[in-house]
Amino acid sequence: MTDLTERERIAVPEPPDVPIKLTTDDEIVPMWKQRTRIFLHNKLAIASVIFLGTTILACFLVPVLHPTNQTNQALTFGTVWNAAPSWHHWLGTDSSGFDELGRIFYGGEYSLTLGFVAGFITIVVGTTYGMVSGFVGGITDTVMMRIIDAFLSIPYIFLLITLISIFNRSTVFLICIIGFTLWWGNARIIRGDALLIRNLEYSQAATSMGARKWHIIRRHVFPNSISNIVTVATFSVADAILFLSALGFLGLGIQAPQTDWGTMLQAGTSQIQNGFWWEIYPLALVFILVVVSINYIGDALRDAFEVRLLER
Amino acid sequence: MLLTFSLPYFQTHGIRAPAFTVLGTKATPYNVAIWAKQHGMDQSYFVRFWQYATQVLFHFNLGRSYKENSSVWGIISLYVPRTIWLAASALMLTTIIAIPLGIYQAARRNTVGDYTATGVAFVLYAMPSFLLCMLLLDAFSFHWPHLPNSPPSGVQAWAMFTSPEGFILPVAALTMLGVAGLSRYMRGTVLEVMVQDYVRTAKAKGCSSRRTLFKHAFRNALGPIIVLLGLSIPALLGGALIIESVFNYAGLGIQTVFAATNLDVPTVLGITLLVAILTLLGNLLADIALGLVNPRIRIEGNAK
Repeated sequence: MTDLTERERIAVPEPPDVPIKLTTDDEIVPMWKQRTRIFLHNKLAIASVIFLGTTILACFLVPVLHPTNQTNQALTFGTVWNAAPSWHHWLGTDSSGFDELGRIFYGGEYSLTLGFVAGFITIVVGTTYGMVSGFVGGITDTVMMRIIDAFLSIPYIFLLITLISIFNRSTVFLICIIGFTLWWGNARIIRGDALLIRNLEYSQAATSMGARKWHIIRRHVFPNSISNIVTVATFSVADAILFLSALGFLGLGIQAPQTDWGTMLQAGTSQIQNGFWWEIYPLALVFILVVVSINYIGDALRDAFEVRLLER
Repeated sequence: MLLTFSLPYFQTHGIRAPAFTVLGTKATPYNVAIWAKQHGMDQSYFVRFWQYATQVLFHFNLGRSYKENSSVWGIISLYVPRTIWLAASALMLTTIIAIPLGIYQAARRNTVGDYTATGVAFVLYAMPSFLLCMLLLDAFSFHWPHLPNSPPSGVQAWAMFTSPEGFILPVAALTMLGVAGLSRYMRGTVLEVMVQDYVRTAKAKGCSSRRTLFKHAFRNALGPIIVLLGLSIPALLGGALIIESVFNYAGLGIQTVFAATNLDVPTVLGITLLVAILTLLGNLLADIALGLVNPRIRIEGNAK
């Protein structure tokens, strides 16, 4: 750490490595095109999108095109349990005799659907709440934020366990409970945005020209906080998938005969000392790559929406 | 605060009867009815909520466990020291490791070291925590059997000093998870501070780079990090819950899981309430510490 002075780049706020040509002299490039270009400039982000897209497609198409038995325990008596990978079962079979590769796709359907739907619910509820809180301000804002503080003081996993053990464990309920309880942090971030933008000059100019509140939210506050909304939504999806896997480990995830990646990993890791690597590592790799790529897409989206990187 | 425990409490009863998990599946309707009456299940939600709230707030009485022959407070006081040991030692190690790591990454931005640390943090962050624990167990207690796979099962808090080797793996797992999150924040915060005007001024007046980094940038980056540490307590205890379950570490987390799967509602509520109070304490401590490192906040406080 001696030659910091030579590293002047530190002082530059995250410049794009290569200057990206965003505008030409005679045409105005629409903003979404500029943003797409910044996003596409990020090679790792493209790789993440491709990987995630392939995984989603595979999870939903492969079980249709090449169905494997994943639910009927009676039919597995003909197969060898915990069988090593072979030509017939590419990734072997699990401790119930189900084909492991097919099961990764089958469990992925549940994990990914739940992640995306819960993430969507999260962002809709969180955005609405945060917008209202930040835009209305005053005592409403204080009360709404204190409520969030109260919720945030309970560790999330404790709350999930409590609610799930009290109510039922159906898939729809899991989606609802993760979706409707994960939005507190998001609402806070978006509230901060709304509060900031409400007090900026252009919003106040609109107010002074007699614009209605709804118009200001729609035309000014929402479009200008979209970067945080999109980023936060992406991270929420990753979080929902992770929390579902933690529930799966505790046996509270999606219940048999259906399965999800967390439950599968738990079943696999309980066999870890028998050396059945095919029940853990392929799935763990897919899982980690999916979550990493979702997070990475979130980072890249944040860059794409960063106004400083746009040239106008 | 009231809301914190009112929500779960309102939803607790009636949907799936706790009576069956306590009395067993063979309980007759007569037994169930008697049990329900004993525990006030025949009263309305509001009456029960009022009773619970007054009992907790004015008598500091968390009620009796449905499942164990003990008061909820008895269970908590038995298990809470071990969980606090686990969480506190992990938090301390996380701070000791993550802050220098974050500064290193910020100072050596876009080098191999930075990329490696970021990559490892990304993977750790994306991994389900129980998978990490299982891999640690597999490596250090099965393939190279140097460490025991779970700490001594007694509930004495001082077991950490009498047989520390059992605690290495749980603490290490919790620390790794914490470092993954905190070092990224530290890196981001230091980078943000590095572009501020006062850092440029420090450089311009001829400050050595080391002095700039530690005297000017680091001290100003500490504020957000302290707030984050205070806010990370729920995540820490949530992580402890999973880790306790994997390592069979007799603490609050494993007790919560046990109580929740048995619908032992008073215990779950009591533990949740305690954890919420711990979180608030953490935030309070963070605020005080913030005042210590940031003179501006102290002066504002005195001026009022």
